[in-house]
This record gives sequence, C-alpha cells and structure tokens, in this order.
Amino acid sequence: MKSNAVKVNESDNVAIATQLIKKGSLAVVNGEGLFESAEDIEPGHKIALVPIAAGEDVLRYGEPIVRATCDIERGGWVHVHNTQPVAGDLKE
Amino acid sequence: MEFLGYGREDGKFGVRNHVLVMSSVCCANGVVEAIGRALPEVVTVTHAYGCGCGPEDTRVSRRVLAGLINNPNVGAALVIGLGCEFVSSELLVQSAQSKPAEALVIQQAGGSAATTAKGIEVATRLLKGLETQQRVVVPVSELVVGLECGGSDAFSGITANPAVGGAADHFVREGATVILAETTEMIGTAHILKRRCATTELGEQVERLVNEQEKRVRASLGELAGMVIAPGNIEGGLSSITEKSLGCITKAGTTLINEVVEYADCPSKRGLVIMDTPGYDIESMAGMAAGGAQIIIFTTGRGSTAGFPAVPVIKVSSNSQVYNKMPGDMDVNAGSIIDEGRTIDEVGQEIFDLSIRVAGGEQTCAEINRSAPFGYLKEGPTF
Repeated sequence: MKSNAVKVNESDNVAIATQLIKKGSLAVVNGEGLFESAEDIEPGHKIALVPIAAGEDVLRYGEPIVRATCDIERGGWVHVHNTQPVAGDLKE
Repeated sequence: MEFLGYGREDGKFGVRNHVLVMSSVCCANGVVEAIGRALPEVVTVTHAYGCGCGPEDTRVSRRVLAGLINNPNVGAALVIGLGCEFVSSELLVQSAQSKPAEALVIQQAGGSAATTAKGIEVATRLLKGLETQQRVVVPVSELVVGLECGGSDAFSGITANPAVGGAADHFVREGATVILAETTEMIGTAHILKRRCATTELGEQVERLVNEQEKRVRASLGELAGMVIAPGNIEGGLSSITEKSLGCITKAGTTLINEVVEYADCPSKRGLVIMDTPGYDIESMAGMAAGGAQIIIFTTGRGSTAGFPAVPVIKVSSNSQVYNKMPGDMDVNAGSIIDEGRTIDEVGQEIFDLSIRVAGGEQTCAEINRSAPFGYLKEGPTF
C-alpha cells in the first residue's frame, strides 16, 4: 500500500505526513494502513500514531522532541499548538 | 568487507590517487590555475587566505592545507607559494607524511611564468610517479566517511538523513570512522548527544561544544540568530529546535560517539566521532577532508551541486523532484522512500553499497562535473 506518512524510528509515537492526509482518510505509515486521520495533516507535519496524554513525550527519531500540553488522540495533528519544548531545547 | 584502494606509506589508504596542486597563499592562485589548465588531470586548490590573518586563523590555515596534502586520496602534492606569506609553501610540504611533496616559491623561481613552467614540469613528474601504483585490497574499516547536509528541506529529516544514518551505522559496524560535523546544526540537541557519548567526560565536552556554539551564534548574529537556531520551518511542520536539529544529527545513525575533534583535526578513534565545524557546507567539508575523510556523503533537499577537491562527494537527494530536476547532480534519490515505497533501510543500504563502489573508483556526479569548490574556516579579522 502506498504510504502517505513515514515513521523513522521503531519507538516513535508520531509519523510524518509525506502528502496531505485529509481528515477521515486512511493514514498509511511505512506501507501499512493504520487508522483514519482525525484532522487534515499537511505534508511535513506530524500525526499521532497512538493516543498521547498531556505531559507525555512526543518521540521522533526515537527521541523526545516536544511534550504534549493536552491529550492528543490517535490520528491527531501534533504541533506547536498542543506541545511545548522539552528540557534541553532552547527557551528563547 | 573490503574495497580496492591505494596504500600510503603512513599506513593509510586512499580511494583516489590524485596529484594535488595547491597555493599556500592566494597570491599564488594564478600559477596554480595555469598549471591546472595545462594539466587538467591534477586537482587544483586555490583559496582566499594564507596571509594577513591573526595567529589563530594562520594556525587553522596551516592545519587545513597540510591536512589536505595528507589526505589519503592525495598521492603527491605540489604547493605554490609567493615567498613573503605567513603560510609558507615550504612549511606545508615539510608536514607531508610519507608522500612526494614539493614546493615552489614564485619570488625565488623567476616569477609567474617561470614558476608555472617549472610547476608543470614537477606536476608531470608527480603524475608519472603515481601512474604505476595499483589498487590493493583494503578493509572498509580503513575508511573515514564525512557526513554533510546542505540546502535541506522539509523532507531531509524524513528521507535522506535517516537513510544516511543507516549507512553510517553500517560503516561503524564494519569498523570504519564516521564524522558528524556542523556544530551549529547540533544546537538544541546537546542533552541528547551527551547521552550518546561513550564516556561521561566526552558527554560533557560535547555539551560544552554545542552550548558554546549557541552562545557564539547569538553573540554574532544578535536578533538574526533566530534565522540559524529558530525551530526553522514551523509552517513546514517542525515543532522545536530539538526536532529540527535531530533531523540533521540523524545522519550519524545510532552508535556511540567515541571522540570529539577540533576543526580539521584527524580523529584518533574509530566509530562515530564529532568534528567541530561550521554549518556552511564548503568549510565543513574542508574540515573533514583535512581530518582525513576519503569520502563525504552529502544530503540535500534544494539541490546542492558542491563536491570537494580530491574527495568524492556522494549526493543524496531528499525528494524525487530535485533528483529529476537536476539530472547528473544527484547520486542517490532518497525521495524514493516517499514515491516508490522504499524503506529507509533499503536506501541506507544503497548509499552504503554505492560508497563502497565509489571507494573502489566509481565516479560520483560531483566528480564527473568537476564541481570542487574550496574554502575554509576563518574567524578573526584580516590585518
């Protein structure tokens, strides 16, 4: 099945859309159709592969890149509106 | 695993057997270029410095130029100096380790025309001397592979960089050395790199290095620092600086960091090492080439064409558009991860396999195009 999102590391809880994934359409990650997207996900943006609870780390490349500031559902869009930087990132 | 390379007397192995003709100071560039026009088979290196700098920049100049002479891909070198410069051609030649290297000084050799004629004679002799050298079987562990990214785009961190990371892990498994450079691109990941270091001391060293670079960028760019160390492309989907920088350092794969070296210094350890270089592609590649890298793997999203003198540079495009738009500039299309459903591992294997073929003599796009810009780090004022 043709992917529309790529998961880089086995432990990641997000994948990156490689093309627009319309709300309600199937997210195909690394060749595998997984679930329906909860929102429109633009290319280059992150989609949650599992529910991510408020305070949980968002993992990409197997590393925490940001932390969820509210509960994010599976298939949801993960970005600056629902996350904050992790310790070690820059504050400015 | 093995490849066919050129043995050097200092125990290192080249993947090419070039005669390097280099200026020690920019005043000698004309003679170097004239020799290059007469003998297109030599690799010429000209640059803008070699004089008029403070002691630290002069030290870096000598280290870079001497390092390039000592790069295993260089079989012999001819260095042209003017005669009154800080970075003398004779001193550079003295630092050549166990390879034929000669210096000519324009002020002593009868001026430009006479030095050019003499230089052509010397370079012809050096070329002849290398003609008979045969490639020998060399373990892949003798390779030093530099990593670079330039003209990145939103797909670099999804396709090209993780695929190169797979190749980097493969090189380390084979016992080779892999250099992760571009300190500026590590800003925001000090805490992650620290954890990946082989020792606590090394971890602290990496953390200091990255934090210092952040301070330097902020001090010199002021309000514009955001252009270098902002999360970057928020519209493109990057949510934090950590995420942006991870996209760059993912090129280095997943193995432990064994050493941190200064700009243009040779790593003494195998496996993954960090070199402190700027993010600017050409200056970063100069540091790695001077540090002994025989091959550089270079990811690009926008379509960089830059190779490097005497060092084959393998171009990996992050998307198929640039691969198709610039035929003859890209060696590997990591965009196939998106368009053709190939996996990151498959493309990583393709990059590794191609690197081994390149080590054995296959030419890269940048070599065929003779795209070999040169420049190196200079931080202080010119006097």
